[in-house]
This record gives sequence, structure tokens and C-alpha cells, in this order.
Amino acid sequence: MKKKIDLTQLLRSKVTWAIVAEILVLLVCLIARPDFFSLKIQEDTGMLYGNIIDILNRSSEITIIAMGMTLVIALGGTDLSVGALVAVSGAIALKFMRWDVAEYITPGDYSVKPYALALLVPLGVCTLMGLFNGFLIAKGGMQPIIATLILMVCGRGIAQITTDGRQFTTKFTPFYRIANSSFLAIPMPIIITAVVILLMWLFVRKTAFGTFVEAVGINRNASRLSGINAQMVIFIVFAITGLLSGVSGLIYSSRIMSNDSNNAGLNFEMDAILAVVIGGTSMTGGKFSLVGTAIGSIIIRTIVTLVYYFGIASEATMAFKAMIIAVVIVLQSEPVSNYLSKRARNRAKLATGGVK
Amino acid sequence: MSENNLLEMRQIEIQFPGVKALDKVDFFMRPGEIHSLLGENGAGKSTLIKCLTGVHHKDAGTIILDGKEIQPQSPQHAMEMGISTVYQEVNLCPNLTVAENIFVGRQPMKHGQIDWRTINRRARELMARFRMDIDVTRPLSYFSTAIQQMVAIARAVDVKAKILILDEPTSSLDDNEVQLLFDVMRDLRAEGMGIIFITHFLDQVFAISDRLTILRNGCLVGTYNIQDITKVELVTQMVGKDMDAIFNLKRPDVAPGTPDRLTATHIGSPGKIDDISLNVREGELIGFAGLLGSGRTETAELLFGVTHLSHGTIVLTGIGENAKQKGNKKIKNPYDALTKGLAFCPEDRKRDGIISDLSIRENIALAVQARKGFLHPMSRREQNALADKYIAELGIATPDAEKKIGELSGGNQQKVILARWMATDPRVLILDEPTRGIDVGAKAEIQRLMLEMCEKGVSIIFISSELDEIIRCSTRIIVMRDRKKVAELDGENCTQEKILTIIAEGAEAAGGVA
Amino acid sequence: MENNTNSRWQRLVKKLTNPKYIMVYATVGILLLIYLFGSIAYGNLASDPKSNKGFNTVRTITTLFVDNAYLGISAVGMTFVLITGGIDLSVAAVASLTGMFIAYGTTELGINPWICIAFSLFVGVGLGLLMGWVIHYLNVPPFITTLTGMFLARGVCSLISAKSITISNDVIDALAGWKVYLYHLKDGEWVKIKPTAYINFNIILFLVVLLVGIYLLQRTKFGRNVYAIGGNEQSAKLMGLPVGKTKVLVYGFNGLCSVLAGIAFTLYVKSGWNLSLQGGELDVITCAVIGGTLLTGGVGYILGTFFGVVLKALIPSLITFQGTLNSWWGKIATGLLLLLFIFIQKVVVSSSDANRKKNSQTAEKRIT
Repeated sequence: MKKKIDLTQLLRSKVTWAIVAEILVLLVCLIARPDFFSLKIQEDTGMLYGNIIDILNRSSEITIIAMGMTLVIALGGTDLSVGALVAVSGAIALKFMRWDVAEYITPGDYSVKPYALALLVPLGVCTLMGLFNGFLIAKGGMQPIIATLILMVCGRGIAQITTDGRQFTTKFTPFYRIANSSFLAIPMPIIITAVVILLMWLFVRKTAFGTFVEAVGINRNASRLSGINAQMVIFIVFAITGLLSGVSGLIYSSRIMSNDSNNAGLNFEMDAILAVVIGGTSMTGGKFSLVGTAIGSIIIRTIVTLVYYFGIASEATMAFKAMIIAVVIVLQSEPVSNYLSKRARNRAKLATGGVK
Repeated sequence: MSENNLLEMRQIEIQFPGVKALDKVDFFMRPGEIHSLLGENGAGKSTLIKCLTGVHHKDAGTIILDGKEIQPQSPQHAMEMGISTVYQEVNLCPNLTVAENIFVGRQPMKHGQIDWRTINRRARELMARFRMDIDVTRPLSYFSTAIQQMVAIARAVDVKAKILILDEPTSSLDDNEVQLLFDVMRDLRAEGMGIIFITHFLDQVFAISDRLTILRNGCLVGTYNIQDITKVELVTQMVGKDMDAIFNLKRPDVAPGTPDRLTATHIGSPGKIDDISLNVREGELIGFAGLLGSGRTETAELLFGVTHLSHGTIVLTGIGENAKQKGNKKIKNPYDALTKGLAFCPEDRKRDGIISDLSIRENIALAVQARKGFLHPMSRREQNALADKYIAELGIATPDAEKKIGELSGGNQQKVILARWMATDPRVLILDEPTRGIDVGAKAEIQRLMLEMCEKGVSIIFISSELDEIIRCSTRIIVMRDRKKVAELDGENCTQEKILTIIAEGAEAAGGVA
Repeated sequence: MENNTNSRWQRLVKKLTNPKYIMVYATVGILLLIYLFGSIAYGNLASDPKSNKGFNTVRTITTLFVDNAYLGISAVGMTFVLITGGIDLSVAAVASLTGMFIAYGTTELGINPWICIAFSLFVGVGLGLLMGWVIHYLNVPPFITTLTGMFLARGVCSLISAKSITISNDVIDALAGWKVYLYHLKDGEWVKIKPTAYINFNIILFLVVLLVGIYLLQRTKFGRNVYAIGGNEQSAKLMGLPVGKTKVLVYGFNGLCSVLAGIAFTLYVKSGWNLSLQGGELDVITCAVIGGTLLTGGVGYILGTFFGVVLKALIPSLITFQGTLNSWWGKIATGLLLLLFIFIQKVVVSSSDANRKKNSQTAEKRIT
């Protein structure tokens, strides 16, 4: 009896659908290629190697941003500027570590005097840009989607101005390690992502911040009248999202060891929002799930990897992504999930003899 | 029943999951009558109306309109058959012009285009009939709620309705506007239209209706001619239980010389309240009487820091045992007020009170948590204890504390909001219309709770539109008029006639008590 | 009785000062300012005043339209969607897909271009209708639905070909090459304007779509339902308006506009590429917003969008004339322009609120 009730609740929970979708996609992988899950240790780097690791590794940029995006969406908004901030972050970092053949002919001159600056300044700038978004929304009373549209439009311009439109490359080892080294045989981006998820989870669930975000997202007026400083909540959430975009940007540029103002973080905002929605957080705000978001992000990457694996042109992955996402979203949509849980309830009723 | 009924709804049954919303309800209406539909919240009034307008579909029964059986499928379908509805909240589009709001969906066409000139002309004529001379080409959002409501009625009337349903149309109108609405209703009645009138204001029922039908718990209680029933009988029929619970309340007495807890001197904010002074003593219940828009809510918002105070001072004394002592500085925002021991239950529960998707537990703990700040979270155990305590104490009807507040009935939601503020252990509690839109039983419960709190030494500022409830509970009554405090009454002075005179004509007319 | 012409004038003035047009006026005002700036600063670049190379030529304006017709066509459809309170991120991808269909169909498969165009219309409108259906009946947020649509369209583009295909087809060449030169009267004789200014097929397509958009939005019940839904969808439902049908049709219409924009863009670049118009949806939305359309829905005019397109197009044009600035300043300028417009919208909305308060008080007096 109790089990049945749980079943209807499970069917209603959107995170369940996300997990089911991920398992299904993985099953397809397994059936198609039994060796899909094999893991090896790369001899030269001592790093774990395999599809699963690759999925986790490559999904980390989106996952990190999506952590912040989850809070933004829980507030009932969207942040369109994250992709542009990824480009800004990379541009500033490379500006500090530029290895421009024209200026530094001897290839020994890579070192940056205070290395920390190359990391802290991009993160700081991205946080400030997040605060700018927060300012427009909390103090200016603008809709988040419009307010962040501004930085989305001019963010890449700012990135190009930073590097004067040039593409710098670097061979600076400490920077290289951000995305390309490993810890206990696990690639560094996965570690960074795990740490970010953990910190975020601690921050929102072990303090009352998560509840405040949900309260403000559901009813800003009532939250304010209950004594919650809604403006501060908005500021913090957008600042965090800015900061995480910066982190993501550093990982991205460390992978390519270069900055790319046109393509770095392209469509990241879309992927991050998708990850959040697949993970079961509603676009109208309110209750959110960080774990769901992480799963959502992994689903997106799994699909991409799967398609790569079958040797289909990389750009075409989008079509498959779209189809699978369409299935998940349709299953999650209100009318469908209501219908399904109703059927489950009816079955439960039949099983218990139709007693009310 | 007479032969020439305009509308006959016979043996209507509607089943909702787990509850029978309507059980064999009959409703008959003659042409050219104003028929009030009465009942507590959850009695089935709106379900019956929605069945008629095609929002819900009946499970059994027949609806006969003008001698023909009908099966309304959707509001649109119902409208085509001559049933139009004006809802409590203005259901128009604020971005369209007044004229267009009246005609959208059925615009007159000319040469394959919308004939704007005819629309505007006819809208002007229609508004003139409502004795209103406004620019119908301006967007609706440009006008006050009262005018918007009139536009909604104009639209409903102009669709050549046989039946007009007015669902609580008067809740946002002041007395003059209500009279205007009544005039229009009488005109329409004279034209043979049948009007179904739903309201919480019993006086209005007696002022305008020809007949009334009472529902209770989804069942029909009866249909009466207005001459054949008294107010007390009506209430007894609606509630179905003895009203002693309500009428046997004892208002809190405060001994002379009790110290002030809150003193506001000449506070104000431009555009809201110019200048008001008041004091609240320990354990006292101050009633705020006055019409909607007379400045009651605005005063409460000033006290709680919702609106910025531009001048005057608020002094709180003897506060700070439980809260962080912050001195007697200005109250800048609700958080400040909260930390100083104030609490404020706002008027619009849906907009300013409940956080609908959060559980009862989270809703109750919210203000306490806000005072602590998010860095000092309450443990799940503390929250549960708090929630369980108030669920038991206030008799909140719920299976457990994890139910979403949005799924509760209005009265229970109100109790949860009350619990949120009681949990902060306030010294001064401001309640703005805490009993509005909830049924009589829950109303009595909330009034009892208020008085209990006063006995424990909490000071309460109580705002209500229902005079008898204020008179019943208050130690002192402040009467507001035109955004000013016009009188302060206590003891024997608190009589219905006196307050009504002051509200209507000012303090001088009533003998100048100030 | 008053003088008839006089009252007509009064009516016109009253109509023009209606607060609902403020945003359009703001767009036009800023457009004029920027144009004025351009014509003063870069009016005549060469020292010889007869060289006709500056900003102050008819050519500047026609080039503006030639270069941005596809943007304008798409913005018309987008305005419809935004007014309902929705958003459509798939427009650029659908336009790109149209380009792929035409390029691959005509050049690689040798199919008649008209069939390719018809097929594109079928796919684009079909996708639009499908997205509208999902948005309304499955209650999936427009952002997510159309984002999925965008991924789908882009993915199919790449499945067709990952390389850019240059079109070689007579019909397409003819359409792309067709132009009407502008003449002016000089010394009693009609001569071509110098430097040559012309109108091509894309401009005409743009103007047709523009007029159809204005007609639909202002003169038909469908258009007014679009506004009503944007104002308050719940109310629209209760007023008995066909909300679901209207929303589905709006996305279908936007799909149509996307395909037409795709055709215009294909004629403009005469090739199909799977990655063309990346991020174009953003440009389209920007045009609508700086044209006075509110992303919250309910407010917007096709004419406003038209000026928005011109304003948006003017910026890169000015930067080209300026000559020393890099193109990325265009992005920043556009961003600042957005900020400015959102700010103006904010001020307008709050001042109309204040107006309402004032108005409601006087109105109450009028009732009594």
C-alpha cells in the first residue's frame, strides 16, 4: 500500500524522469557498444580514461554554470549572460598569460608574476558582472531575461576589447593543469565540479539560503513582508552565477590553452537552462534541485558523447539532443505527468479493492 | 416553481476527487430578477457558477435556459448562449484600450478589417450609460480598479446576455461606486435580464436582491424571497451552527496606566498618509475602522516599514527581550520591524502572505528564520516542533506539516500566516483584514486567538472592513477617513451608528470625539 | 456643433498623444538622433563635396535595407510571439535550415528551387505550429520548447551538410540579382542616383511581410487576440477568446516569417551553411525590444519593430563609416542601446502607474 503511494509521488517527481532518461540513454549505449563503459588508465598521464569519465569531464563546464543557473531559475528568472561571461573570463585570463609571438619571442617568458592574478581577476570581473545583472534586477526592477540580455549582447564585445580582438595562446603549465591534470587518476575538471556541487549544496541546504531563494522565487512580495531581504538574495544569486561562469570560463580556456571570444561558451546559457529544466526545476521558479541539475547536465553530455561514438558529424549532435530532450520535457510536462500519476493511482486503487 | 423561469438548474451533481462538490442542487431564476447566491467558502457557490459557465462539467442534472436544455462546454460557449460573467478580480486585458476590452473577440468588421470607429463610438455610448465619461481609447491599465470593474460589467452587459453573473464585484469598490453599480443592476433588471449576485456583504444582499439562494457544503439549503428572511436567520442558515461562538467574545480590557508599547507621532509618507499619531498599550487591541482606501492599510505599512517613513517617529518601548535590540532607530524595512518585535499579517493573503509552493512547515518557520538570517539555519527538528505546535494550537486542518500551503483552504492559510507571526513572539501584531474571505467558523476561531494573545500581553492592531467584528473585539477604535485619523473611540462610544456617522460625515458630525 | 475639421484635428492629436505609443516615439527619436549624428559626422567623408561617398546618401539607406531585410522579416514574426508573452529561439536556426534546403536541394540534388522553397515553408510552418501546440497544450515554457526546436533545426542543418554550399541555380540567381535602380530628376532628366541605389527582391519581401504583419495585428480579430493574450492570458480565456488556437497560429506565423527570412538571407549570401546566422535569434529579439516591444508581452507594434531594425542596422553601418573602430564595438553599442531602451520602458511604465493613480482620483470624483 505504502509502496503504491510512493510510486505516484515518484511518477510526479521530475528528478525521477531525469534519472530514468539518463539510464535509458546509457542502456542504449550499452546495447549498441558493450564496451561503452570500459575504463582504462592512460599510461602516460596516469589518468582514468573511458566514455563515462569523458562524459563527466566534458560536462563539467555546463554543470558548474548550471549550479548557479538553478538558483536563478528558482528565483523565477533566467541568466542569458553566462555564455558571454565564459568568454570574458577566458579573455582576461589569457590577457594575463599572453604568449604573443610578436611580443615575447623567447618561448621561456611564459611565467606570470603573481599567477593568482590570472585566476582571481577573471573571477572577480565575472562576479562583478553578475552583480551588475543583480543590480538591474533587484534595484532596477527589470525582468531577469531582459537585464541579462544586455551583457549577453555586449559581453563578447568586452571580451574582444580585452584582448584587442586577438587570440592569445599560452603554454603556462600551472594554467594547463586546471583542465588537463588529474587527482587520484580522476581528471581535474571532475574534481572541480564535484567541489563546486558540494559547496553549493552546503551553501543552499545547510544554511537557510535555499529556502529563501525558493520563497523569493515563489512570492517576492510575501517574502519581503516576512522579513527576507529579497534584494540581497537576488544579488547573491546573480553574483554566484557570475562567479561560476568565470570558473567555467577558466576550465574552458585551460582546455584549449587559448581564448576564443567568439566561440567560448557559445550556447552555454541554453545548455545550462536545459540542464536545470531537465533536472526538474520549473521555469516559473520555486522548488529546485541541484542534484537534478547535475543529472540534467550529464544527460545532455551523454547524448552528445553517444552521438560522437557512432561517428556522426559533431554538429549534428544537436538534432539528437533535441529529440531526447523533447521526450524528457514532454514526459515532465504537467498534463502528461498528471495523466500518468492518475493512472498509477487508479491502479493502486484497483489493487486495494477500490476503497476510498 | 413558476412556469416562466429564465434558468432552471435541476439536481446538479459535480464530483471532484475525494469530495462531492455539488449534491443535487436546484437553482431557479426568473427573468428580471436579482438573485443572490450565498454560502460560506467551499459551500459550492463558485462550483455552481462554473458549472453554468462551462468551466466545470456537471456529472448529473439538467440546465434549462429559456426553455431549452443546454450543455455549456466552455466560457466562450456559455457566452454565446447568453450567460456572461464578471469575476471578482478584473478579468480584462490591461494593455488593451477600454473600448477594445469591451469588444475584443466580437469586433464589428468592415471590408475585412476591424471597424475601430464603430467600436470606439459604441464603447463611449456604453460607458455613458454607466454615467462615466472617460476616454475609451486609453489603455485599461490607465484607470482605477473601480472603473476597470465597470468596464468588465459593460462588456458582460453588451454581449446581449440573458443572464449576468456578478461574482463578488463589489469587493474593490467604495460606497459610491457600489451605489452606481446597483443603479446599473436595476436598469438591467428592468430590461428583463436575470442577474446572479454573489457577495460576502450581507447588507448589499438585502439592499439589492429580489430573492436569494443559500448553499452549504455542496447542498441546497433553500431559496427565499428577500422579505421572508432576516439577517440573523440568513447567517444561521449559511453557517448551519449556533453563532454563540462569535457573539460571546469578551473584548480585552486594559487597566488605566498601562504603559505604551508603541507610540507613533506624526508619521507619514507622501501619497500615502500625511500625518497620523497613535499609541498602543500592552495587551491592548486597537481596531481600525474605515472604508477601503481610507488609509488603514497604509498606516499599517508605515508602522511595519513596508513603505518608507518620510517624517515622524515611531518609538517602541519594552521591546528587545527576545529580539536583537536595535535601539529606537527608524524602521527601515520589514526586517527591521521584525527584529524589533513587530509582526504584520497583510491584507492580500495570496499576494503578500502565502508562499504557495512551500510546505506549511516552511511557511511557519519563514519569519523566524528571516530574523535569524540565512547563516543561522533552524534545524529540521526545530522547524517541525514549531510547525506541530502551531498546527495543534490553531487547529490547522492538515494531515501533516509537509502539505503545501497553496493546497489549504483560505481559512487554514490564514491560520498558517498567523502562526508565522505568532512564532516570532511579537510584542505588537498588526492584522490587516485577517478574517476576509474565510468562513464564519474560521473567523470566530481567529477572533478568539487574537483575544487570547492580548491576554498574554501582546498588543494587536486590528484592521477590518466588518464593523461588528471590530466593535466586538477592540479596546479602542481608531476611525480613518480620507487618509486621516478622524476619531478615536473607546468604551461606550464604540457603537455602530456612531462609527458609521463618523465614516460617512466626519468626526464633527458625530459630536467631535477625537 | 463644432467645426468638423477642427474636431478631426483634435481627434488626431488625441490619438497621437495616446500613451501607448510612447515607446515607438522613443525609438524614432533615438533613431533620428543617431542618424543626425551620422550625417553630421560622416555626411561627406571625402574632401570633395561632390564625391558622394559619405553617410548622407540614398545608398546608405538602401544598403541598410538590403543588408538587413532578412532580419526585419524575422523580427515581424518575432514581434507577434513576444506580444503574446512568449519567445522563439528557433528563428535563426529555421532560417539557416531553409538556406540548407535550398542550397542542397538545388545545387546537390538538382531539384526545382520552387519545390525546395515549398518544402521549407512546409517544414518551417509545421515546426512552428508543433512548438505552439507543445507550448500551449503541454504547458512547456516557450523558452525551452523553442530552444529544443532550435537544436533540432541546427542539427538537421548539420546532418544535411557540414560544409558551406554555394548555390548555382538560374532561378535563385535571377531572384538574387533582380533589382530596381532608383532614379532622380536632374536637369529635367531621370538619371540613376549616384552612387547607385537600388531596391531588390528582399526589400520588397520585407515590405510585404511588414504590411501583412501590420494588417494582421491591427486590423484582424486574430491580431487583437494576440494582444489580449499578452495582456492577460487567463482573462483572454475567460473573455471567451480562442487562446490555444491563436497561440499555435502565432508560432506558425513566426515559422513562416523565419522561412521567408531564410529565403531572403539565402538570396543575400547565395549559399547555404549549417552554421550561418549563429546567434541570429538574439539580433531579432534585440530589434523587437529596441522597437518598443515588451518581453513581458502585451505591448509592441510592427512599426516600432521596423524602426528597431533600422536602428540596430544603423550601428554597424556607422562603425563602418567611422572606419577606425573595430566591429566588436557594435556589440557593445547594441548592448548599451538595449540598456537605454529598457530603462526608458521602465520610466514609462512607472510614470503611467503614477498617472493612473492621479487619474483614478479624478475619475472617482467624476463618478460622484
